[in-house]
Amino acid sequence: MEPRSSTIGPSLDPNALDSFQFNEEIQQLMTIPQENASSFTALLELPAPQAMELLHHSPESNDSAAPAPAHSNSHTVTVDAHHTPYHFPVGANLTFPSNIALIERAARFSVFAENINNTTTDKNNHNNNNHSPATTESLPSNSSGNLGKVKNEPAESDSNKPNSPPPAENKRSVKRKEREKKVKVTTKKSKSGANESSEDAEKLPYVHVRARRGQATDSHSLAERARREKINARMKLLQELVPGCNKISGTALVLDEIINHVQSLQRQVEFLSMRLAAVNPRIDVNLDSTLAVESGSLMDSNLSNMVMPLMWPEVQVNASRQQYQQQWHLDAHHQPVWGREEESHNFVTPENSLLSYDSSANSATLHSNQLKMEL
Amino acid sequence: MNPKTYHHISSNPSSVKSRFTRGFLRAFKKIKRQQRLLPTSSSSSSSNPSPRPYLYGRVKIAADKSLALAVGSRRAWSRALLWKIHYKAWRQRSRFNNKKKLLKENKKNKKNKKKKNDDEEVGFRHAKELRKLVPGGEAMDLCSLLDETAHYIKCLITQVQVMKSVDQIYSF
Repeated sequence: MEPRSSTIGPSLDPNALDSFQFNEEIQQLMTIPQENASSFTALLELPAPQAMELLHHSPESNDSAAPAPAHSNSHTVTVDAHHTPYHFPVGANLTFPSNIALIERAARFSVFAENINNTTTDKNNHNNNNHSPATTESLPSNSSGNLGKVKNEPAESDSNKPNSPPPAENKRSVKRKEREKKVKVTTKKSKSGANESSEDAEKLPYVHVRARRGQATDSHSLAERARREKINARMKLLQELVPGCNKISGTALVLDEIINHVQSLQRQVEFLSMRLAAVNPRIDVNLDSTLAVESGSLMDSNLSNMVMPLMWPEVQVNASRQQYQQQWHLDAHHQPVWGREEESHNFVTPENSLLSYDSSANSATLHSNQLKMEL
Repeated sequence: MNPKTYHHISSNPSSVKSRFTRGFLRAFKKIKRQQRLLPTSSSSSSSNPSPRPYLYGRVKIAADKSLALAVGSRRAWSRALLWKIHYKAWRQRSRFNNKKKLLKENKKNKKNKKKKNDDEEVGFRHAKELRKLVPGGEAMDLCSLLDETAHYIKCLITQVQVMKSVDQIYSF
């Protein structure tokens, strides 16, 4: 369903809306780098306009640059075919409406990554080792591979660049919308990398890691722990669902209770279907009125609710399980009887014999007699 | 007689409960009509119809099927239940022994080792029993098994409620 907003004239698809917001955010971001231009261009040791020129020219200069891989060449060919000159091959075949801010962002990320390369272990950033620090030519091919890893790492380098975190966070939040899938894939790897780095450098404030201190942090145990938490959460839900499970502690007993509950429910369904099979609809009731009555009867039918559970005591004790089985043997005997006797009041006699197993049989028979009397 | 109060069906007209009620009542009436039209049981008054043990089976199947249809294909257990019913009906119709054997073998070969590792953590026999109870539980990992169990319990409860009230209506 497409949301047709009344405020905006033409009806926009959600995709169009997203890109619209995206454009707005990019434009907002475009103002920010100009404010922080000093920090950014200072890294490159170039004045601002020359830096921008370099960035814009980088897709075209890739032809001449040696380290640029072949795919960027092909992309420049296709790029010229499009109407906007700044479509940027970021290794993901994504086309952006206005790329200036994105280019800057990519540059910033890769520059950060190279800075961190010097500080943290080599494992994380083996991708960056191929590129020299201050080359803008290597920016495009770098940025996509490092986005995920760099997401955690700019936060770690808080001490290095005080100006960087706020715009980095903004960028991060926008980047997330754009490349969720990619980030998810890379953050998994980065978690293991970031975990190792968290052990190495515990002084750093920002750690986006769920690992607690003193616990193993390789990816296997992390995944296992996540799974165990999931399973425990679901067990809690089940405990709430099954009556009488809240007080029990321990997985095995709770599972026992759950199994009993499911078995009892299934047996109730079977029993009810047997009753319905034998009943004879003397009255032709309309479907609508049936449903209407049903909702009313569901609210008023406390009597039947009392009868049923009494006949089928909720099994909390092992001994009564044997009673269950005995009752079912009795049912098998009485089935042909039910087939012959289609009047409902005849059910009272097998019910009575079933109820004789219960201690509370008397009250139950009284209830069933009351049901009869209501006729 | 129960006072016929004309409330609305439920607060949510398209809930599992109301969908199940409609489907089940339809199927149930159909079964009753078929039962009536058959020559052996002509009228309700005095004739002695032969005991029909399989009628109970049909009602049960109708109840399960309408419940699974009400839930739809969103849940693994409802898909498994529908498949089971369909498969049994097909098997009955075809009655080719060769095909039966082949299909049984195919079914048994689906076993994951991962499930056993999970089950050991929680309690091996419990997990096995639970898998047998919940339709489609054989081929699920523990996490989704618990999920499906929760939903299955909820739907079973509604099924029991609806069938109780239907029974109440028809028995008066």
